Amino acid sequence: MGERKISRVTVEVTVNGRRQSAELEPRVTLADFLRVELGLTGTHLGCEHGVCGACTVLLDGRAVRSCIMLAVQATGHEVTTIEALANEGELHPLQQAFVDKHGLQCGFCTPGFIMAAAELLERDPDPSEQALLETLGGQVCRCTGYEAIIESVRDAAEKLRQRGVGPLGLLAAALEKKAAPSGNGGGE
Amino acid sequence: MSSRIPNSLEELPVSEIRWIGKGVERLEDPSLVTGRTEFIDNVVLPGMLHCAILRSTYAHARIVSIDSSAAEEMEGVYAVITGRDAARLTNPATTAPEGWGAYCLAHEKTRFVGEPMVAVAATSRYLAEDALELIIVEYEELPVVANAQAALAADAALLFEEHGSNVMLQRKFTWGEVDSAFDQADLVVSDDYRWNRLGANPMETFGCVVDWNPADDMLTCRGSFQSQSYMGLARSLVLGLPSNQVRMISHPHGGSFGGKGGFRGVDICALLSKAASGRPVKWIEDRLEYLLAGAGQSWDREYTLQLALKKDGTVTGLRVKLLDDMGGTAEAFGAVSAAKPLAAFTGCYAIQAAEYDLTLVATNKVPQSPYRGMGPPPHNWVLEQTMDKAARELGLDPAEIRRRNYIPADAFPYTIASGNEYDSGNYEAALDALLDMADYQKLCAERDSAQAEGRLLGLGLVNTIEPGVFDWNAYAIVGLESTGVPEGITVAIDVMGRITARLGFSLEGQGQYTLVAQVLADYFAVTPADVSIVYQDSLSAPPHFGPGGSRLGVAITGAALGAAHLLERKLARVAAVLLQCGPDDVELMDGFLRVRAMPEAKMHFAEVAGAMLARSDLLPEDIDPQPQATYVWTAPGRTPADEQGRAKSYLTAANACHLVKVEVDPDTGTVDILGYWLVDDCGTRLNPVTVEGQTMGGIAQGVGAALLEEYVYDESAQPLTSSFMDYLLPSVYEVPRVEKKALTTPSPFTPLGAKGCGEGAMHTTPAAIMCAINDALSPLGLSAREVPASPRRLWKLLHENAD
Repeated sequence: MGERKISRVTVEVTVNGRRQSAELEPRVTLADFLRVELGLTGTHLGCEHGVCGACTVLLDGRAVRSCIMLAVQATGHEVTTIEALANEGELHPLQQAFVDKHGLQCGFCTPGFIMAAAELLERDPDPSEQALLETLGGQVCRCTGYEAIIESVRDAAEKLRQRGVGPLGLLAAALEKKAAPSGNGGGE
Repeated sequence: MSSRIPNSLEELPVSEIRWIGKGVERLEDPSLVTGRTEFIDNVVLPGMLHCAILRSTYAHARIVSIDSSAAEEMEGVYAVITGRDAARLTNPATTAPEGWGAYCLAHEKTRFVGEPMVAVAATSRYLAEDALELIIVEYEELPVVANAQAALAADAALLFEEHGSNVMLQRKFTWGEVDSAFDQADLVVSDDYRWNRLGANPMETFGCVVDWNPADDMLTCRGSFQSQSYMGLARSLVLGLPSNQVRMISHPHGGSFGGKGGFRGVDICALLSKAASGRPVKWIEDRLEYLLAGAGQSWDREYTLQLALKKDGTVTGLRVKLLDDMGGTAEAFGAVSAAKPLAAFTGCYAIQAAEYDLTLVATNKVPQSPYRGMGPPPHNWVLEQTMDKAARELGLDPAEIRRRNYIPADAFPYTIASGNEYDSGNYEAALDALLDMADYQKLCAERDSAQAEGRLLGLGLVNTIEPGVFDWNAYAIVGLESTGVPEGITVAIDVMGRITARLGFSLEGQGQYTLVAQVLADYFAVTPADVSIVYQDSLSAPPHFGPGGSRLGVAITGAALGAAHLLERKLARVAAVLLQCGPDDVELMDGFLRVRAMPEAKMHFAEVAGAMLARSDLLPEDIDPQPQATYVWTAPGRTPADEQGRAKSYLTAANACHLVKVEVDPDTGTVDILGYWLVDDCGTRLNPVTVEGQTMGGIAQGVGAALLEEYVYDESAQPLTSSFMDYLLPSVYEVPRVEKKALTTPSPFTPLGAKGCGEGAMHTTPAAIMCAINDALSPLGLSAREVPASPRRLWKLLHENAD
């Protein structure tokens, strides 16, 4: 005993605008890759069987459950996590709305709710009650009773509409700004 | 040192209250919404190992042998421990009632499916779980005790042979002239009820990182501990370490609701760390482990309730008989949930004769843990549903029978039959406000016409008490007899005049750091953003308990005000020296220490603090030159329990009145909540937005309790609800929108008149929904007496009883 040969695969994925690659066991989940390998601990694990939605991240703009997806499945794709949303200390309108409308208590499920709402508002800036329920119905919160979460998403939708930008459009602009040459010879 | 705690906002040293009582934005939120909060699973320490736990597959079995040799030899595995190690190195868990504890790993036999058997520490969780697959346990099955009735059978197998019985506690408590109340009653109404197991299920499971340093025998436990000091003391007893060698570092938790703690997980990691030469060991309970055998199963109850009534609807006597299935051990203090109803046994009613016939038994299920409300939610349900039954038999409206039995508003403070004292309240005002807000008459007419059309539409009107600010004496009947629960805080002013508060509990969602900042901001006339809240571990913080029993908002307000007042007195003495007057001539007002008779002679508190830090040489020598003060608050006037369990226990009695409209679908047995209204009164609302959040969260959990949530076991005590596909949590679809109104009857006994409100609607919602369902079913002559009223149960009730 003691000899265990576990094969490794190369995972190459763009996370929050940055290219990442790692050699991993094929069984490593996307959530564990983000949390353990990349230190992006804002993505939380609530059930690890795809029901609660706490681990929701965006894969090419679509909400996915990172607990039931393997890291290797994300190869060649773009992953967006909660860490990408705030820009130089300024909260993203979705984050600000959750603060303003008391859309969280313990906050453990909140990153998942925010990422799921980001996907919704990107494709539907003015979602109907039914569309809101369909998106939020896939996420579980044990603290708030949901009413304040619905209000938070509505509030964010309104603020984003006023600014004429989607939640991910806003992100893309911020990432572009960060990636642009600073003009003083800096950069990475 | 004693301190003066203001009972009202008018007593604060500011001309205008700017923060307390306002929906102040929470200091906690920016970190949470950006994913920056340090939940326990984020913690990585050098050399850290990961624990995985092999669990029992049998409900009751003798352990014949364990072969873990292959796991021990696996690359990446650093330690493997079994119950034999636990028995060698630790004590069984302390319990209430006493003597029903087990080791952290099953030793000689296992008492429930999911009980930890063997634990492995390896370099990753993946490897640790691989190692579990190499362990072979040989079991010899024992007869299973699958439920409470089976536990009482004469030939039942015994969970703890040394007790000669599965009965953990059996006793009848009698308060007042119960027999004569029933003898002289015009009407006795009685029913049997069943409340099935459910539990907390915070979105974050329990987790810990433990290291047991072999050099100095210091145990450091990081984790999502609801009460770090309490957890630390229990670890000290189990692991045989002096209490000051157990350091508990509590991380913010993703919800708790009573069940957070995980005694066994911490002890297992401690033993693994010891076995691995002191390397830190992390265990993050996964959801399947939580559902299988976590600290998340509560209230498995069979009730019989009897009311003695006069013809006019006055209730003169109450008998409650409870048989509660505590599971395999008493290790998680689930028994306190059977004791807590004493704090509000007769609800909102002036019933002076009551009896509690209580039986707690051990079975081969998971040991019960605390859950939000800690026991009264089922008690309130059976009391309120029987009140409705009495109303029907007497031809009274549910509102009217309640009104006729309320403790009158002028009777407070009021001592209830079971001994606790309610501080204040106005139940009739809450009822009237609710009936008015919901337009009750119109709703009744709507219900009547719907029922006339054959629709199963019903209304539930319920009122309850939420006992707030717990004391141990409330649980004396199950063996926890001490009094006094401390909460301390240190308030310090730095050289720049900024305020820092240091305390001993971590965040779990109720916004208490914000509350402390609000209180201190108003005391010193600054903004909450000017106040930093710093968490301290169990060996560093002032004496503390943390959240539990709807206490922390009140307790921490008392601690903050007490410390602020002590600090004010210290600053006043220094200011008196600097302003050359007597210390009694100086007062704090709007952030300035000023001379009473000459208010223009004043210094800002920051200046005074700065002088203390810079020039202590100028101060009289009996002045402590630190611009900081600590105060430890305890609830005033608590009394030890008498032989019948009677005590002044919970300090406050908030009340709520809920009205819910439901419709039952006869084809599917599903329940739709069509309307929800409530009026509640928890005294002064220190942060109304936070209070509302607690209320709404309690409603959601109440909906889950009434309609969805249940841990199901089969006849061999095998759990059938092992994932969120089986154990159903309420989602955005099930939780209703609620129309709310707040009344304010301040507590005469608490800081600023606030009452405990953290458990709130969980006390009321299950009862309200069940009463509404029964109102809907009443034209059919049916009654639903089992919780949750799941579609399957209601469908069976409707169809198996159909003509």
